[in-house]
Amino acid sequence: MRSATLFSGCIAALATLVSAELNISQPLLSRQVLPSIFKPPQVFKNVNLVRTTNLDKAYPRETINVIIENVDSAPQSEYYLPFESGLISRVGGLEVKDKKAPEQGVFKVEVVEYDTESPTEFYLIHLPTPLAPGAQQTLSITYSILSALSPVPSSIEQSAKQYLQYTFSAYVPSAYETLKQKTKLKFPNSDVPDYTSLSSSLNADSVADPQKQGSTFTYGPYSSIPAGASEPISVRYEFTKPLTHTSLLERDIEISHWGGNLAIEERYWLSNLGASLKNHFSRVEWQKTSYMSPATSALKALPIPLTPGALNPYFTDDIGNVSTSRFRTGARESHLELKPRYPVFGGWKYSFRIGWDADLSTYLRRLSTGPSYVLRVPFLEGPRMPEGISYSRIHVRIILPEGATNVQYQTAVPIVSSEVGLHNTFMDTIGRTVLSLHAINLVDDWRERELLVSYEYPWTAGFRKPVVFTVGMFAVFVTVWVVGSLDMRIGKAKKA
Amino acid sequence: MSSPLLDVWEAAASSPYKPSIGKGSQFTLGFLLLFISLILATIFGLNRSFVNLPILGIPASLAFGFGAVYMICAVGVYV
Repeated sequence: MRSATLFSGCIAALATLVSAELNISQPLLSRQVLPSIFKPPQVFKNVNLVRTTNLDKAYPRETINVIIENVDSAPQSEYYLPFESGLISRVGGLEVKDKKAPEQGVFKVEVVEYDTESPTEFYLIHLPTPLAPGAQQTLSITYSILSALSPVPSSIEQSAKQYLQYTFSAYVPSAYETLKQKTKLKFPNSDVPDYTSLSSSLNADSVADPQKQGSTFTYGPYSSIPAGASEPISVRYEFTKPLTHTSLLERDIEISHWGGNLAIEERYWLSNLGASLKNHFSRVEWQKTSYMSPATSALKALPIPLTPGALNPYFTDDIGNVSTSRFRTGARESHLELKPRYPVFGGWKYSFRIGWDADLSTYLRRLSTGPSYVLRVPFLEGPRMPEGISYSRIHVRIILPEGATNVQYQTAVPIVSSEVGLHNTFMDTIGRTVLSLHAINLVDDWRERELLVSYEYPWTAGFRKPVVFTVGMFAVFVTVWVVGSLDMRIGKAKKA
Repeated sequence: MSSPLLDVWEAAASSPYKPSIGKGSQFTLGFLLLFISLILATIFGLNRSFVNLPILGIPASLAFGFGAVYMICAVGVYV
C-alpha cells in the first residue's frame, strides 16, 4: 500500500515536470479569447492581393500587399488575418502598414483566439482610421515564419547539397472573399527540383501553374476565392546554407554611471535546423574542402557587426575562452567575427556567450528637467549573415543603476511581456533596478530596431555605493579603537 | 506614429551623459585614494586615540569608499 502511494507520488511529480516543460515551449503570447461560434464579420473584401514569399533566407519572409474594400454599410476598422493554430505560434514580426502612406507608421496588431481546440486563429489588425463604406485601402503585411522549412532528404553527405521543402497554400489564407490574387515565390537560385503543379482550370488566365521566370515562380492569378479556401502546395529547392536558429537569446545591457560604461552580454543557444549528416563527421574531408570554402550546410562562422566604439570583447562557451575569433575596430563599425569551436551541422547545437563594453555617453543622455536620463540601445544585435538567423525567444534585461525609479520604455519590437525587478551584483545593497523585456519569433531583420528607456536617478542614490563603503570602513576604525582601548591585562591595573 | 521617448531623446541631444571621472583616469584616482586611505589608516594604527578617530578615520574611510568604487570600475567590473 505504501509503495503504491509512493509510486503515485512519483508519477504526480513526473507529471508536474512534464507539464512544466510543456509550458516553457508554449509561446508567451497575450491573447484575446473569443467564443467558439466566432466568425470574422464579413465586412471587407480583398479586391486585389499579391503575396511575395521570399525564400532566400533560412526562414520564409512573406509580404502581402492587399487592397481591401469595406463592403459593409458602416465604417469598419477591424481586419482579421487567419492562421492555422500550429502556424500562428511560429509567425513572427508581423507588421502592417498602409502601403500608400507608410509614414503613418505601423498599425496596432494583436493575436485573437476563439477556442483552444480551434484549427484557426487570427491576428486582428486595427486600422488607425475606420474605413468608410465602399472605400479602399492598401495594406502591406509582412511577417516571417520560423521553423517552416524542412530539409528533404533529412540526412545528407557532409559536402552534399541541401534541399529544403516549404509547404503552404496557393490561396492566401483570408477571412474574406478575395477577388483576385497571386503568389510570387522568390528562390535563392533556380535549382528547384520539385514543386506542385496546378491545373490551368484554376488559373484566371488559364495557364498551368507555376509560371517560372528564372528563380521566381508565380502561382495565380486566381479569381473569386471564398474566405477560408486552401490549396496546399509544396516546393523543394536547393539551399546549401545553415538554418541557424536560436532557441533562446539572453541579452543583458548593464549601465554604470560611476564607470561611464555600457556593458552588453549575450548568451546564445544555437542550433542548425538543416539536414543532419548521413555518416559520421569526417575531419579529413572537412579540412580538405575548407580551403576552397564551398557552400556548406554547416555553420562555420558568425559575423557580428557591433556599434562603433565597442571595447573589450569576449567569446566564451561551456569549456572556456574560444580563441577562434577576430575583432576589428573601425571608425564606422566594429566587427566581431566568431568561429564556433566546431562546424555546426544539421541537428547539432552550440551555446556560447559574448560580451563587450562601450562608452556610455553615446547611449545615454541627461534631461534638463530633473535627475532623469534617457537611454537608446539596439533591442537586438547579433549575427548578420546572408542566410539570416531566427530567434524563438529573446530575453532582454536592462540593468539600470541601483536606485533608479520611474522606468519607462518604448520599442518598435513587439514585446510579449515586461517587468521591472531587482538584480543583485557587485557592491549592491538594495539591488539594481532591472527592466526585463521578452519577445518571441524574431529574425535578424529586426536587429536595427532601437529600444528607448527613461528613468529617474537622483544624485543621492548615486552616492549609495561609496557611502556604504565609507560607513563600513569607519565602523572598522571605531571597532579597532574600541578593541584597542579595552584593558585586557591579567591582574589589576597598577595605580600610580 | 507618436514616439514620446524618441522626442525626449532628440531634445536631450546637447547633453550626453559624461561621468565626472573618465575611464582613463579611474585607475589613477582609485589607486591614489586607496593609497591615501592606507597611509591614514597606518598613522591611525600607530596612534589610536579618540581624537584621531574622526581626524584620520573619516578621511581614510571616505578615501576608501570612493577609491574602492573607482578601483573596481578600473579593473573592469563597472558598478
